This record gives sequence, C-alpha cells and structure tokens, in this order.
Amino acid sequence: MKHSFFTLALRNIFRNKRRTSITLLSIVSGMVCLIVFGGFVEYSFWGLRESTIRSQLGHIQVYKKGYSEKGVANPSKYLIDDFQRMEGLFYKIPYVELVTARLSFSGLISTGENSLICKGDGVIPEKEAKLASFEEIVDGEGLFEEGKEEVVIGSEMQKSLGARIGDDLTILTTTPSGMMNAVDIKLVGIARSGAKDYDSVFAKLPLSVVQRLLFTTEVEKIVILLDKTEHTQEVAQQLNLLFKEKGLNMELKTWNDLAPFYQAVVRLYIGIFGVIKVIIAILVLFSIANTMTMSVFERVKEIGTLRAIGTKKSGILKLFLWEGFLIGIMGAVMGIIAGILIAQGINLCGGIYMPPPPAMTTGYNALILIVPGVLLYAFLSTIVISTISACYPALRATRLSIVESLGHN
Amino acid sequence: MSIVSARQVSKEYKLGKTTVLAVQKINLEVEKGEFVCICGPSGSGKTTFFNIIGCLDKPTEGTVQIMNQDVSGLSDAQLSELRNKSIGFIFQTFNLMPVLTAYENVEYPLWILGKEKRERRRIVLKMLEDVGLLEHKDHKPDELSGGQRQRVAVARALVTMPALVLADEPTANLDSKTGVAILELMRKMNDEFSTTFIFSTHDPQIMEYAQKIYHISDGRFIEEESRKRG
Repeated sequence: MKHSFFTLALRNIFRNKRRTSITLLSIVSGMVCLIVFGGFVEYSFWGLRESTIRSQLGHIQVYKKGYSEKGVANPSKYLIDDFQRMEGLFYKIPYVELVTARLSFSGLISTGENSLICKGDGVIPEKEAKLASFEEIVDGEGLFEEGKEEVVIGSEMQKSLGARIGDDLTILTTTPSGMMNAVDIKLVGIARSGAKDYDSVFAKLPLSVVQRLLFTTEVEKIVILLDKTEHTQEVAQQLNLLFKEKGLNMELKTWNDLAPFYQAVVRLYIGIFGVIKVIIAILVLFSIANTMTMSVFERVKEIGTLRAIGTKKSGILKLFLWEGFLIGIMGAVMGIIAGILIAQGINLCGGIYMPPPPAMTTGYNALILIVPGVLLYAFLSTIVISTISACYPALRATRLSIVESLGHN
Repeated sequence: MSIVSARQVSKEYKLGKTTVLAVQKINLEVEKGEFVCICGPSGSGKTTFFNIIGCLDKPTEGTVQIMNQDVSGLSDAQLSELRNKSIGFIFQTFNLMPVLTAYENVEYPLWILGKEKRERRRIVLKMLEDVGLLEHKDHKPDELSGGQRQRVAVARALVTMPALVLADEPTANLDSKTGVAILELMRKMNDEFSTTFIFSTHDPQIMEYAQKIYHISDGRFIEEESRKRG
C-alpha cells in the first residue's frame, strides 16, 4: 500500500458501510434537490425569457435617437424613415435571424356594440409568425398578407369585446397631426401570449394598414431576433459600433432593458433558490458532522494509538478532513448521477404541471433543465460542505488526551 | 548509556473533590539493552508510570529523561517525533489498525518517520520475518489470532529501531503458552537489536524473563531484584 492519510481515510470510510451509506444518501438527496430545483428554476427563467422575447419584444429593438427618453410622449417625431436600408445593414451582423419593423398606436377597437382601448401594432405579416413563435393562435389564423385589412387580437380582448372570427371591427385612432382616423378591419385571428395584461390590449395589423391609418410611411421601431438569446449583448455592441461607423442617429434597447417583470421574477426565484440552498447545506452539514463525530467516538482508542506511535495532531486532523472530503466526493459524484437521472425521468414523464404564474393566463409543464452551472455548484459546494463538516470532529479528535484515549473501550 | 531516567516522579489525578496519588516519587534508571519488568497488581500505578516514561503523559512532579534528554520542555509535536523515533509501544489489547494489513501496520511508523517506500519495504519484510509472520503479511488484524496480532504489535514497536520499547501487560490478553512465546520473541529482539525493553506484568511466569524486576504497589517501588537471564 502507498501509505498516506488519504488511503487510510478511504479505508476508514468503508469500515462502517451502513453508516457511510446513510450519510451518502443524505448527501445525494440534498444534491438531487439542488439539481432538480436549480433545473426547474432555470427552465422557468428560460420559459419566461423566451416567451417574452418571442411574443412581444424580440432580442433587440432599435429606435431613432431620443425615442426612449421622449418618444413615449410624442412618437411621431421619432419615426424611422429608412427601414429598408437598415434592414440590409442589420442582416449582415452575425447571429441576426430576423429584422422586422413595427409601428404602434393607441386607439379604440369596436365591434359596433362594444368598444375597448387597444394598443395596436403594425407588423410585417410574413415575419411576424417567426418573431412571435411563442404566441399561440387559439382561433382563426395569423396575418398572412401585407396590405389586407385584417387584425389579430389578444384572447382576453376578444372575450371582452365578444367578437368572433370573421367579424368586422373598427379601429379608431389619432394621426400624428392630430386628426381622427378610422379603419374597418376583419377579425381573422385570436392569439394568446400567456401574459394576461398584454392579451387584454393588443391588436396586430399589417404594417401598411397602420401606416395608412396614421398617414405615414415610416416605422416606429426595428425589432431584431437572434439565433440565440446568449448573443444579445454581443450583437448590441456590434449594432452600436455600426451606428457610429455609419453615422446612424439610432439607439437600441435589449430585451433585458425592456422586461422589468422578467428581472423581478429572476430576483425572486434566485432569492428562493438561495434559501433552499442554505437549508440543504445545513442539513448535509449536520448529517456529515454527525457521522464524523460518531466515527471519532468509535475510534478513540485508535486515535490514541496513532498518537502514541508518533502521529502528530496535524496528522489526525488530516485523516479526518480527508474522510470528510472523500465522503463529499463520493456523495457529489453519486448525487450528480442521481440528479441527472431523476431530472431526465421527470422530463420523460412530461415535466411538472405548474399553474399560471402571476399575470399569466395559462399554466405550463415545467421541465428540468440540466444546467452545467448548477451541477458544478452542487458538486463543489457538497465537497466544501462535507470537508467543513469534518472540521469540528477532526479538531475534537486532535484534542483527545492520548492516555484517556488508550484507556477508552 | 541511560535510556530512561526518572527522578522523583509523581502523578496526581483529581477525581471529583478527591486527589488520587497514582505514582509517588518513583526513581528509575534503565540502561541500554536492559530487559526490565515492572510488576504489581492492578491499580498499583504501572500503567500511569508507563505513560509518563513513554512521553504520553506528564508527571505532576519530578523529571523524565529519555536518552539523556529532559522531555518536560518538549512540545506536543516534538514528543510525537520522539515517540515515533525512539519509543516503541506494545499494548495489552494489541491496538492494531483494523483497516490495515499486518504489513501496513508495521510499515506505519516508518511512513510517519518519512522513510522512503523501498527502504520501508525492506525493513518491514525483515521485521515480519523476524516475528514469524511473513506469510501473514497481507492479513488484516481480524484474520489473525491473538498471538499473531501481538507479534505484529512487537514488529511495529521495533520497526523504527527505537532505543526503548514499552510493553504494558503484553501477555494479559493471551493464553500462557502464547504469552511465553511473545516474551521469548521480545527477548530475542532484545538480544538481536540491543533494544531496551520495559514491560509490566503480574504473571510470575512472565517475570522470570526479566533481568531486573521492580515491584510497585500504591504508586511506589517497594522492591528491586536483579536476576540472571535464563
């Protein structure tokens, strides 16, 4: 044998197999909780983020400079007149999948009997299906043809209006010059984003129809969709560089800037996850400390013998810290395997049904994402906690009197 | 050369409100190569005195020198080194590490001492051969008989070639035949390596092996006798 406190510790761990198994079971349970809950949280973040991006916001929105500050009060002054040119420039940037435009307005939508305030969006029909991939058409169909006087409205709005597919609706709004204008339009689709507030007010019309309604040929914002959300910051930087290089009087906002609700949810979940992590850490810590303390009590005489034949206090300390560390490693490896298997099992069963979150209209089946960051965190924290748990018993072992230890039975 | 020199050594214990004098003003000089027995009934102070001269415990009064070095001023780490290098222990209950084989148990003090692996192997195999357990080198303690375990303990005590081996009732847990065999082994090692042995017993048959016998009672030496070795 290659003598070392490592090998001695390893053999000591397997001396009392039942106790070690129980300790490992508690570590594995803790890790499974961490991995499954971490994966659930990550899926929730992903779902909320992607549904926000792919139903309303896109990854990046580009506006005329000053729009963010003053455009809400007077949007007509900050309209973009050269969308076609910019579209061509933006498509040259890597990771950009889609560039589309929007022109929004506020107005009234009416069936003749019922009227509601609406937030209308002029969209490019052939691009909208790709941008709003998380938006579900619950009745009718989406917009297909530019120029046709058709509208898709939110499911909550449809309930309030009492409108049906094929009904003729009227939209009334104010043009930038202050005139009232109206358009008669056919209801072709009812859509649901899942966000109740949004579904209560939105109406999507072909861009050219909205431009005619507002007496303009310009657009309000350019919406960019990327291949992956992770590329948002990189593309935003490239866009800012492009604005400088080409002297474009533009500004941008990322989905992150436009989704305060998402940020609030993330902060809440991270807080909850943090509390759960601490609780699990405490449980694992006490479990291992208990095992190690029992182990010290059982081996008092051995500790005395090791000290008598020349082992220093530091040697005894190393021995027990190695034992804690090794239990941690074994538990962490087993926990990772068990965590992944259980997460996959849950996913294979279709996930966990979750009721609608606040301000949402539909529940969802939450899947458990296998997140490398969560696995690494669970792995490393288990080893660290396990080693820390061994500190107190290890210190106790070094403080035992040799004479009393040798006389211990 | 004096291996152990104990002067006016006393040890008190507090038991609740009572103070127990376990050892009272004992003087002892043991020279290199001596084979000494300290005998006395249970509770007479043998083990307490062994613990003090084995640097496992400190006297309340008096001084102990091991190989002319006063041990009272040594730190815990220095005492550990001294025990590892210069003192071998044989315990009544063998005290082998259950997770280590016979070979590994004997090797352990050499590893603590920092000997390199090849050197350790040479010494350990020789030592196991000397105690007649070479073929049991891969057995764990629970696979060995009491006598075999004590042989492993003897090999472990001697493996670092210490100046002094302390054996506290080494035969108490063995039958008389095995006990005699262990004493003969210890004496053989005493002859072969000139290692000083101090052992304790209250078995008259075992005492016969000693060159010098100190009788202890109520924590005091009451008689000293010298014998010719048989």
